[in-house]
Amino acid sequence: MTAVKHAYDTFIHETGGWVASQLEACTRCGMCAEACHFYQATGNPEYAPVWKVELLRRAYEQRFTLVGGFKKMIGIEKEITDEDLSHWSELNYHACTVCNKCSMVCPMGIDLGSLLHGVRAGLAAADAVPADLMAAVNKQVKEGSPLGMTDSVWDQRLEWVADEWEVDIPRDVKGADTMVVFSSIEVMKFPTNVAAIAKVLNKAGEKWTVSSKAREIVNFGFYQGSEENTKLFLTRVLEGAKELGVKRIVVTECGHAYDALRWHGANWLPEANDFEIIHITGVLGELIGSGRIKIKPGAFDGNGTITFHDACKIQRKGGHIQEPRDILNVLAPNSFKEMTPNREESVCCGGGGGVIAVKAADEPRYAAFQLKIDQVNTVGAKTVAMTCSNCRLQFTDGVDHFKLDWKVAGLAQMVADALVE
Amino acid sequence: MPENNGNNMQGKGVSRRDFLKLSGLLATAMGFTALPPLEESGLPAQLNQVAQPAEVLMTRALETKQRLPVIWLNFQDCTGCTEAISRSVSPSLTNLVLNTLTIEYHETLSAASGFQVEEAKKQAMEKYAGQYILVVEGSIPLANDGAYCVIGGRTALDILKETAAGAAAIIAVGSCASFGGLPKADPNPTDAKGVWELITDKPVVNIPGCPAIPEATAGTIAHFAIFGALPELDGLHRPKTFYGKTVHDRCQRRAFYEAGKFALSFDDEGAKQGWCLYKLGCKGPTTYSACATIKWDQGLSFPIQSGHPCLGCTEPNFWDGGGFYQGQSAPLERPAATAVGAALGAGAVLGIGTALVNQAKKKAKGEAK
Amino acid sequence: MNPQAMLEFARGPFFYAALLFMIFGLAYRVFTVVALGWSKDRVPNKGSKASGVVKTYLKALLIWPFIPWVKNTFDRNPLIYIGGGLFHLSLFVVVILGTPHMLVWKSLSGLSWATLPLPIVDWTAAVGIIAMIMLLINRRINPVLRLISGPAEYLSWLFVFLPMVTGYMMTHHLWLPYENLYALHMLSVDVMMIWIPLSRISHFVFYFFARTIHGAEFGKRGVAV
Repeated sequence: MTAVKHAYDTFIHETGGWVASQLEACTRCGMCAEACHFYQATGNPEYAPVWKVELLRRAYEQRFTLVGGFKKMIGIEKEITDEDLSHWSELNYHACTVCNKCSMVCPMGIDLGSLLHGVRAGLAAADAVPADLMAAVNKQVKEGSPLGMTDSVWDQRLEWVADEWEVDIPRDVKGADTMVVFSSIEVMKFPTNVAAIAKVLNKAGEKWTVSSKAREIVNFGFYQGSEENTKLFLTRVLEGAKELGVKRIVVTECGHAYDALRWHGANWLPEANDFEIIHITGVLGELIGSGRIKIKPGAFDGNGTITFHDACKIQRKGGHIQEPRDILNVLAPNSFKEMTPNREESVCCGGGGGVIAVKAADEPRYAAFQLKIDQVNTVGAKTVAMTCSNCRLQFTDGVDHFKLDWKVAGLAQMVADALVE
Repeated sequence: MPENNGNNMQGKGVSRRDFLKLSGLLATAMGFTALPPLEESGLPAQLNQVAQPAEVLMTRALETKQRLPVIWLNFQDCTGCTEAISRSVSPSLTNLVLNTLTIEYHETLSAASGFQVEEAKKQAMEKYAGQYILVVEGSIPLANDGAYCVIGGRTALDILKETAAGAAAIIAVGSCASFGGLPKADPNPTDAKGVWELITDKPVVNIPGCPAIPEATAGTIAHFAIFGALPELDGLHRPKTFYGKTVHDRCQRRAFYEAGKFALSFDDEGAKQGWCLYKLGCKGPTTYSACATIKWDQGLSFPIQSGHPCLGCTEPNFWDGGGFYQGQSAPLERPAATAVGAALGAGAVLGIGTALVNQAKKKAKGEAK
Repeated sequence: MNPQAMLEFARGPFFYAALLFMIFGLAYRVFTVVALGWSKDRVPNKGSKASGVVKTYLKALLIWPFIPWVKNTFDRNPLIYIGGGLFHLSLFVVVILGTPHMLVWKSLSGLSWATLPLPIVDWTAAVGIIAMIMLLINRRINPVLRLISGPAEYLSWLFVFLPMVTGYMMTHHLWLPYENLYALHMLSVDVMMIWIPLSRISHFVFYFFARTIHGAEFGKRGVAV
């Protein structure tokens, strides 16, 4: 029963005015289900967001409210059990990317994303996290990266990238303005992205650096829902930044890492406010907008329709909605087409929130991706651009799995390719 | 010649024509187009023909029936109901009540007074034991052993019980006798009661109204005179003939209600246009009475026609019905600001208390969130 | 108890008690939340929280309820949007713009306003009743709604439905005498008022918390909401 106790303790701890007022506001209308790509794709009613937060709601009702106390007294309130924990673990880690689309639909406006995160916190405290996700978390705790990007691997990979694409990647430069922290997904799987970002920043004459201390932006503690681990990984980044004395931290194409550092960091670690934290999409928009770099108009026209996939953590939850569109309208004014729905209403790729790291979640994940396939096919796009390497991982995997003929592109890379020398 | 209503009236100078008019009026007021089954009425067989117009039947019935002795008691009242009947401009109606019926006792109308009249009442009660109609006007006070209404040294309750014992039927005329009326209004200092609350072993008919519509009183008495039985009553013992429909149902301003055209004050354009008085507190929708059809003063007008909302005087407790000018749908009582404040305050205090307990639970699990 | 006495009870002491209980209960519910403690948000804004809040209220109160089909999830469960929308519209029209109800507000607050003709209110009420039946059927059919509905949800439906139906019957003098229906209407309203703070019907209070947080969260991130 200790797992259950830990879950309860964490649920209670997580439930302040923010959570309680929103739990109270729910009318159980079920509309959120229709926003959830996992429910849409599978029709499993348990994937309804309102049902995913059931444990948090139950804990609140039982521990904090008179109604819950009364229900317990007459024996109709069920205490959370170990079975419940493992069941809700599946619902939350296999079939939820915490994309917060449900919040857009909720007639009450409940910010379901934060409640879903609260559920993960309880499940994490109860050790009810899928084994493969937990393995990745532990790997990040021990080795500094969930993808096995140890110090030496990082070192070698960056060197190789610098050689291969002939770009300069300044390392550990004290006094630089900007510290860029790549995700291991980029370093290990999409090295072109690393090269592209380096190329763009160099071209713009930005005084930037990477840090050997802050070498991983990915934050599997955030996926897990563990405050302790999330803070640990954030601290590594912030310490790296502090050591080099930079003014701002640029998060590269990784969604949840941006969410954790930009929108939660300072609430856990006040020193996060010593730095300006910005996503690379914001930086690209800024550099192009101010004319520090120039891109070739129409560089990507003529190769079929290009569409843009909005990432939940960078666009819907991050607000970098306009920049990619401005850039794409320059790069491919004739072939850029929007999917519907788009922008903050976009449909999640289905791979975020750690789902892609859980093997057992393949079925709902591929099912959810089919919604994306339909969207892309509807506009008839041959290239899908995006600003999140986690989405990109899901897309490349999906393209492979469903044998699609699309190109999946990172926006930074497209900008780098179209730079006017 | 036997003493019956027909020749009695002629003897008192009521013409045949007036008598016909009266009969027609009553028949209409009672809603008869053809008379109901007459077997039980004891009428001669030749009258028992449904095809005859009601007016004719009514005339014949009244003509041939024996006179009906009536004892009329006044308790906590204003004599308004007596006034309404006696001042009625309809001479026939007055005649009916004053002449056709043998009013054996009536404080206001009797020429005699004091012991004489009490003696007359006693004699009448003996002579007509089990046959007379007892009409009661005014409520009966019970507080302080009935000290608030004493006649000839006896309490109203005493007199009522004694008189009721020999009555064939009791007719409570007016709101006071029916439901307690004004004397019963909050805080009801005299503990006033209506007749039917006190007399349960005799048929009691209520003719509520403030005052009761004379035609309703007369019609009910006439019904008893003709059929020897009381008319059909509703749950509040009111004759369905006169109290079967609400004032709202028959109101001439009803169309304005449906159309949402309301007078908002007594001197606005709506009031001048004769719009619905619902927003000025009209109680028509829940008030059962024939006011809107029979009206007053020979069908001249009734309160709503004259521009005043219905007070609901034919319904029990109308004085305490939430204010005469308060919308009919409004709750009867408005919670005082202090009560609302107390509820809010108690909720807030208990809520904050609960929250503090919950906060303590949270603190026990680590830093507050 | 005769209908008249029942009506007096339902309009008088019971209404009074139910109203005060509702006020007490809602105050309790709100303060348990308000006083629970709110962690401070130290994260710097990208956009403006205030403008996010304003925008989300404008959309949620003035746009979406009237043209729900602009929501991209509309076609997936149109019944709930249409049924829910019509129910609330009917509720507001009948309860605020129906003459008898306005007089209730007037007696409680002293404020009065113009009302709509009865046929309009009446038809709206009928629409609301049909919407409620639609919503109940939807709740029984939709797998998600079946899953998340317990006795409380059905009781909430019932306690809202009864005043609507008795009110409608009363307007049309259906089956029972007017004051019996009026008494039933008032009794059901009183029961509903007691039920409100015990149930999720109280969402009309917490809506403002959730919607404000929503607006602030999205405004802070510079996302149009």
